[in-house]
Amino acid sequence: MTLRWIKHAVTFSVISLITFPASAQDDKLAVVASFSIIGDFAYQVGGDHIELDTLVGPDGDAHVYEPKPADAMALARADVVLTNGLELEGFMNRLVTASGTEADIVTLTDHVQTREEPGGGHYHFVNGEAIFHAGAHDPHAWQSVVNAKIYVEGIREAFCAADADGCEQYEANAERYLAELDTLDSEIRDSIAALPESNRTVVVGHSAFGYYEAEYGIRFLSPQGVSTESEASAADVAGLIRQMREANARGIFAENISDSRLVEQIAREAGIDVAGVLYSDALSPAGGPAPDYLTMMRHNTHAITSALASD
Amino acid sequence: MLRNLAYTTAITLVLSGGALAQEHDHSHEDVTLYRVFVGDHAEPHVTAFDLGDPDNRWTFETTGQNKLYTVNNGAAVVAVQSDDDAVSFFNSGISLHAHGDHSDIEISDPAAIEETLTGPRPFHMIDHNGKAVINFDRGGYAEIIDTHELSHGELVTTRLPQARAHHGYAAPIGDTWVTSVASDAPVEGDAAPDRIGLQQVNEDGSPVGEVETCTAIHGEAFSGAYLATGCQEGVLTVTDGEDRPVFEMLQYPNDLPNGESTGTLLGSKAVQVFLGNYGADGLVVIDPVDEPHFRYIELPFRRVDFVLDSANARFGYVLTEDGTLHQIDLLDAEVAQSARVTEPYSMDGHWNDPRPRLAMAGDEVIMSDPNAGLVRRISSETLEEVGTIEVEGTPYNIVVAGGSGVVHGAEGEHHDHEHSHDHDDDQIYQGYFDDDQVEERALSDWAGDWQSVFPYLEDGTLEPVMKHKAENGDKTAEEYHEYYEVGYQTDVERIVIEGDSVTFYENGEPLQARYASDGYQILTYEAGNRGVRFIFEKIDGDEDAPQYIQFSDHGIAPAAADHYHLYWGDDRAALLKEVTNWPTYYPSSSSADEIVRDMIAH
Repeated sequence: MTLRWIKHAVTFSVISLITFPASAQDDKLAVVASFSIIGDFAYQVGGDHIELDTLVGPDGDAHVYEPKPADAMALARADVVLTNGLELEGFMNRLVTASGTEADIVTLTDHVQTREEPGGGHYHFVNGEAIFHAGAHDPHAWQSVVNAKIYVEGIREAFCAADADGCEQYEANAERYLAELDTLDSEIRDSIAALPESNRTVVVGHSAFGYYEAEYGIRFLSPQGVSTESEASAADVAGLIRQMREANARGIFAENISDSRLVEQIAREAGIDVAGVLYSDALSPAGGPAPDYLTMMRHNTHAITSALASD
Repeated sequence: MLRNLAYTTAITLVLSGGALAQEHDHSHEDVTLYRVFVGDHAEPHVTAFDLGDPDNRWTFETTGQNKLYTVNNGAAVVAVQSDDDAVSFFNSGISLHAHGDHSDIEISDPAAIEETLTGPRPFHMIDHNGKAVINFDRGGYAEIIDTHELSHGELVTTRLPQARAHHGYAAPIGDTWVTSVASDAPVEGDAAPDRIGLQQVNEDGSPVGEVETCTAIHGEAFSGAYLATGCQEGVLTVTDGEDRPVFEMLQYPNDLPNGESTGTLLGSKAVQVFLGNYGADGLVVIDPVDEPHFRYIELPFRRVDFVLDSANARFGYVLTEDGTLHQIDLLDAEVAQSARVTEPYSMDGHWNDPRPRLAMAGDEVIMSDPNAGLVRRISSETLEEVGTIEVEGTPYNIVVAGGSGVVHGAEGEHHDHEHSHDHDDDQIYQGYFDDDQVEERALSDWAGDWQSVFPYLEDGTLEPVMKHKAENGDKTAEEYHEYYEVGYQTDVERIVIEGDSVTFYENGEPLQARYASDGYQILTYEAGNRGVRFIFEKIDGDEDAPQYIQFSDHGIAPAAADHYHLYWGDDRAALLKEVTNWPTYYPSSSSADEIVRDMIAH
């Protein structure tokens, strides 16, 4: 009797609040993921049990995202908010304040062994300009599959805490996915082990691969210390090219979230072609080369090992 | 090891002058300070005062009535005197620099910048992307001011000419510009020409694209990636595209009251959303991306002034002519609560008659009340008045500079806040971190194996740090070296903290004792800012181990330390006065390179 009454009341409120989409309609766990990679992890663990809102979508850069009123509203009705932390989502605190959300705000890097950011930050390239993102720690922890597992475990715990009824399902989903991550991790290690020891260095525009470097032993050079006021100065680029020669760097990569002008300039001056696009901070749209995390890591690893394997 | 204290006391006498800066440098005090600037309605002057301590007060003479704007995150204040063809500039004395997870705040007295701008009828001002742009309505141009230079007291301007003088604006969009455009139809006498739209121009004023229609264009604001401007037919948005600005007209939907339009806009700095007027007694929440683009809020009376909440993007505040302040919920597009805050101020009469104006200072709405001769402080949460400040004359236009940040002491000259020297006056320190923010900390915050950095200073490893400081400070690398030589000096090369046990190693010889918390002491430094020492007292252990140890590590509440300064001795009170010798410890696992990097990054 009581239950039926509640159901009725819920239906009624949906009619009156027609501008609010979805989640109020059912009793699914309402989850907000700050950006696409965490969104994929959440989907892997939550499956159909959750109503998922991802704020910064495919090819979006969480560092420079401008949050919308709809994002604050998504937070307001969320049960769980999943964030990376380490200052990746500069917009999140103000969004949490504006939304007045009572959701659990989960920082998935809390249990990750973080890397200090050399120089106190890293560079992004937007419209041909280098933009410095200050931060004591490198936020791109998901670039190591070992860390991705910590994210997934954190999500499993957060979902179970917020929705005890669904916990069994979340645990089963997480177990399956963690096994897939283990497979991925070994694959990456195997494909890099197959490379000649002397071919382990590539170049990227934005230093987002520190965790990949530490985990898998590929060295990523990037134009650090370039002027924030203009394109990389000739001296910076010359220095990088010298470093590339010394380290026998064979691949130079653009990134999906960044504009590629700077790496194209470096490639031109180094006399090599841009070897492809790496997915650093966001997935590709569905149908692209990196629509989910597993595919993204395989795509990146394949792109890197292909460039380094060639003579 | 206890000789250490006696030794450093002697050094105190020698170096007392410049020593305090170091303590700030590493104490990272949290500071909140708001400074209010009020323009008088009748008299050509601006009064500034510190909100928490209004006796800190300054008055600046100008040429005419001042409309005030803050620029460059409140570092400078612009006073536009439309009727007197002049613009004055002030350094607010408070600058905030975003720095990763915190902001740095630097505080000094406000000061007028000597140079002013003059020209025919300066009016709208836009602050965006490091540029303040003032339209000269009868001059036919806009002056572009570099706000970074302005914060350093320099007035550096560039002129952007317009095809015809009009009441309008120019604004930077990415690397290019847009300007409002007047009709070229002839006008009678000195009547202003009609305004017809917005156009992309180069910085020299030469037109690039077509004129985008925006009839009677008036009012503009930036939020997120968008510039929005009010027109008769809707709100025109502009955003930086791949090659050129992208314009989109958001037409007023049919469900808005007929015959009205938006002429004043506010843009949120936290969420990409605008609040505009819609007619005299309506507001619209404008979302430039998602539908519905407009959500209408009806007000019970005509609007006197409105402002967006700088601390919580959900809210805005509007004063209506019945003297009621309304809290607007931008997400739900409704009036969340209302409260009477002053006497009625009718909107009949001239738009520039003396009526209240609103500004924000953290969680307070700051409102000038011209007839009462007051500035009122109103809680943004409850809409209750929390205080009033008398201001001579007829206080009218108002802005607030400041905010919360962390004080680093490296640039000593920025901390000469001359009103902060009297240690007995509690009020003086208002605006600095509140005592109730300070929390007890357990010894476990400093648990670990720690190494002294003094040997690295002695063997030259830290020379890059000294060079870095010299480049950014007022001493040579040699002087910094000498200074740190006193600061870091210690014979205790290693400290191990485990549970309640602290082991000091001097020449490899351990001294061990157990310590219990003895509370904390909030210290006030000469420049007026403060730091916290967390104190532990020996409960048993080696006789030669110090009776007291005091940690200072930038924190005021529980958090694991990544490095710290340690003071030790048997006289608790004397130790608290120690400010020149601060043996400094980093994790023993840190390499010399990591320590150098960390020091440079700080």
